[in-house]
Amino acid sequence: MPTIDIEYKELQKLLSVELDGDMEKLDEILAYVKAEVKGYNKQDEVVNVEFKDTNRPDLWSVEGLARALRGFIDQKCGGGIRRYVLEPSGVEVFVSRELFAIRPYIACAVVKNVELSDASIRGLMHLQEKLDQTYGHKRQKASVGIYNIDLIKPPIEYTTVKAKEAAFIPLGFAEKMTADEILEKHPKGCEYGHIIKNNPSMFPMLFDADGKILSFPPIINSNDLGKVTVDSKNLLIEVTGTIHTTVLNTLNIVTTMLIDQGGKAYSTIIHYPDNSDYTEKQVTTPNFNNHTMKLSVEYTNKILGLNLTAKRIAELLKIAGLSTQETTTATADAEAEITALIPCYRTDIMHQVDLIEDIAIAYGYNNITPNWREIATIGKAKPDQHGINLTRDLMIGLGYQEILNTTLTNKETLFNKMNTPQTPLIELDNPKVTTMTCLRNWLLPQLVEFLSNNKSVEFPQKIYEIGKTTQPNPTYETKIQENETLAAITTHPNANFSEIKSTLDSLLTNLGIEWQIKETTHPAFIEGRTGQILINKQDIGIIGEISPQILENWNLENPAAAFEINLQKTLKPNPPPH
Amino acid sequence: MVELRVQEQQILLGIEKNGGKASVDQLISICNLSDAAVMRNALTLQENSLLNIYAATQNIIKLTNEGKIYAAESLPERKLVLAIIEMGGTADLKAAAERAGLQAQFIQIALGWLLRKKWVSYSSQSNSICVLEEQLQDGVVEGSDEVLLKVLAERGQVVFDELTVAVKGDAEQLKKRKLVTIEAKTSRFLQITDEGKSALAEGNVVQSDITQLTPELIITGKWRSGKLQRYNIAAPVASVWPGKKHPYLSFLDEVRSKLVTLGFQEITGTSVETCLFNFDALNMPQDHPARESSDIYYVKDPKFGDIDSYDATVRNIKETHENGWQTGSRGWGYRYSFDVTKRLILRGHSTCLSARALESGKVEVPGKYFSIARVYRPEVVDRTHLSEFNQVEGFIVNSELNLGDLVGILGRFALEIAGADNVRFKPDYFPFTEPSVELSAYKEGYGWVEFGGSGIFRPEVTQPLGVDVPVIAWGLGVDRLFMMRYGIEDIRMIFSSNLEWLRKKQVT
Repeated sequence: MPTIDIEYKELQKLLSVELDGDMEKLDEILAYVKAEVKGYNKQDEVVNVEFKDTNRPDLWSVEGLARALRGFIDQKCGGGIRRYVLEPSGVEVFVSRELFAIRPYIACAVVKNVELSDASIRGLMHLQEKLDQTYGHKRQKASVGIYNIDLIKPPIEYTTVKAKEAAFIPLGFAEKMTADEILEKHPKGCEYGHIIKNNPSMFPMLFDADGKILSFPPIINSNDLGKVTVDSKNLLIEVTGTIHTTVLNTLNIVTTMLIDQGGKAYSTIIHYPDNSDYTEKQVTTPNFNNHTMKLSVEYTNKILGLNLTAKRIAELLKIAGLSTQETTTATADAEAEITALIPCYRTDIMHQVDLIEDIAIAYGYNNITPNWREIATIGKAKPDQHGINLTRDLMIGLGYQEILNTTLTNKETLFNKMNTPQTPLIELDNPKVTTMTCLRNWLLPQLVEFLSNNKSVEFPQKIYEIGKTTQPNPTYETKIQENETLAAITTHPNANFSEIKSTLDSLLTNLGIEWQIKETTHPAFIEGRTGQILINKQDIGIIGEISPQILENWNLENPAAAFEINLQKTLKPNPPPH
Repeated sequence: MVELRVQEQQILLGIEKNGGKASVDQLISICNLSDAAVMRNALTLQENSLLNIYAATQNIIKLTNEGKIYAAESLPERKLVLAIIEMGGTADLKAAAERAGLQAQFIQIALGWLLRKKWVSYSSQSNSICVLEEQLQDGVVEGSDEVLLKVLAERGQVVFDELTVAVKGDAEQLKKRKLVTIEAKTSRFLQITDEGKSALAEGNVVQSDITQLTPELIITGKWRSGKLQRYNIAAPVASVWPGKKHPYLSFLDEVRSKLVTLGFQEITGTSVETCLFNFDALNMPQDHPARESSDIYYVKDPKFGDIDSYDATVRNIKETHENGWQTGSRGWGYRYSFDVTKRLILRGHSTCLSARALESGKVEVPGKYFSIARVYRPEVVDRTHLSEFNQVEGFIVNSELNLGDLVGILGRFALEIAGADNVRFKPDYFPFTEPSVELSAYKEGYGWVEFGGSGIFRPEVTQPLGVDVPVIAWGLGVDRLFMMRYGIEDIRMIFSSNLEWLRKKQVT
């Protein structure tokens, strides 16, 4: 979930609310946009805010957050969509055709008369970073560059260069580097170079009319043109990427944020090459036009269980920072259709239900009357639950403590320390820690491991676990077979085969199961004290005295005896209803 | 004058024989009495000031696995020196090592110890090694470290504190060589007092009190002729532990039975799942951050599941992701991949089970369903995170359902399952539901606790699965609820391997 740092004072100012440092109060406000306070650094007056919704990049700046909350906090103001105006800047951008296969899209805006403070630069950089990382998928789909436009002579050329063709000083460096050197040596080059490597001989580059390099997108800006300070008044915002909508949305979010800071925005014209790859040849960016979406009043009320009029719905949409077109037809509310207006920065609205949720939030979740609808259905636990419960009751009656292990474990535990050859199992492609690399395919090793953690606890120790074990099985849809499995182990100075056999016999007899035992060998058990457990001649498990070598492997000092059985073959289904 | 019972006398004698004090364990074997009998009598004796009971920590030396081998075979330096003596008292280091059967990595170690023990002299120039004259004469006397190893092999353990200073030093050396461990162990000791000694000397023993009533005494009627000894019933007894259900599993049992009572039917599925049901069917685009390898476990082999039987559904989902299909959505606008949807993972949430159930066409309308499922995420385990945990989730289908029903159901859960005094709803986000609601429950003494999430499945989820009635999906934060109920602050306790804790945890 995305988190951002916001300046507490700035938020308080933009919201016109006195928060008195009360984070609970702020939390209540943030709930409107599904966000919450994660931390508050009192010294720096910075609040760390976490967003549950991953699709609201418009909230990732203090300005955007305040804009979204305004209608909810001050319902009298009516909310609605904030108007952003644009004038043409005269700046044009020309795109080379070979970029289509590398990084096809670009969008630019000019913002003038910005008053940047240290705090607002931090906010801008923070937004840029979040957009690059989260919305832009680590710069893959879109990445942002910001420049001092006063140092740049338009028109701008978005083109490609060969490896050693052009050199510039990358941001934060002192010496000129060529594109291939940047990919090799610059930390950003190492991090993001893979994005543009589908054509290894061509590198995207932005030039101005004098041939000065603005940046090497999406890697790094020029140190000369692409550095923003408190003295930068007039800015060029540029977004490049592989998904046109993402590029355009990203530009809107950055530009509107700068307008909210007092800047004045100007549009640019992007000229795409005249070939069939690009559907649009000329695009004016940014584009602050609202989107529209039809919303059925009936559908809204059906989902919310309310009886709202079209007028009331329009009011609620405004509180949520949206708007509606004036309706001229005076149809009955039930059939009415509202045309909702969605501002350019609300990229998350895909379906009517998204609007309906905003209406519900504006209405107030806690104003909805809870309804317990009597839906007559018959409750049922899963079919083998009854059998599992009977087995658990018996094991407990036999004096065994139930334990619970993770199903993730490792081969050292499952096989090496049990002196047992590896059997088929499900391993992870991306384990996080070496102790959790695969799903267990038998239970006993973790029971022995459990004992090894309790050497100083009073004896006798008798434990059991019922849980899933997993084996690969190509005939199943998800290629695995899971078995409900029971393992039990007893350890104390006199633990032996007879004791565990008594336990197993008592368990199975009480479950109404006739069973047989057949001598077998298993490297984890003592030879001559190991048996295969059979039901109707079918192998369901193993029983025996644990080999002293295994006890030594786990540093255990008391003899131990154990069994493990597949419950799938012993469990009874649920009893018939009375 | 003090009267002693037979067992009391036995114990005092045992202590005296052992030098005036003895551990409970020692007395069990000296007197051949049970732990309970020793303690019961000891307490009576202490009440009469005949002995003192105290706890003390002793350091116990034990052989390691390597130590056991050396105890049986002798130390490498001993092997080497014997080989040199056999070769005439002077020998080439390599040749001597070969004769001694030493592996290459032990030669330097053995040589180091020979020099340290002053058994040999060594010339690095000629690489020759010569047993010192005085050692040759004595036949290289066994060092006290070697004696200690042998004693340990024989007895299993030795009390470090009872050794002389010199031998203690040897023990420390052996510990450094990783041949022994020295671990502290606390035991109860009994020490005879002067009164105890004089009571023993007076020898005033009361005969034939019956302690344990036996079948023989009953059958023969001999119990009539003896006196049934009065016990000190306040004396502590050995602990016994019942077999018990695991507290977390008991809690899940309770949740399950409440849901069944509310009319929910349990559904299940395997922990390995395809991306189809874990993500795609739930309106999560194929580049969703939750699908990154830092957020979901991928199966190494086999990589792909079999989704052929879902052909029509997958095509609907593909259309929905790309352009919204007939759901009224604009879709995510990207090219959908079939290889991605087939990829096998460990399920990251139990919502995949709801998607499967809806897809199966076997869901009854109206119907209520739930699952209790182990789910997996590559988290670093700490006091608030597990990489494997349980989710309790479910859904309700009916021809008519709305937000009022949703908050109604959540309120009911809070009341029935958490025993909450008050509930509160907040906007929430899930990729697969809209509207989405977070439920917090207030309970006296606990405050507000986030307890569950819920929502109405998006049309992008239900329609491709062939469902055209509203479906309310809900999930409960059972781990948090469990921790609250049992006063646990560290989530790792759910998979605790602390037997003591499990034994002592009060049942609720």
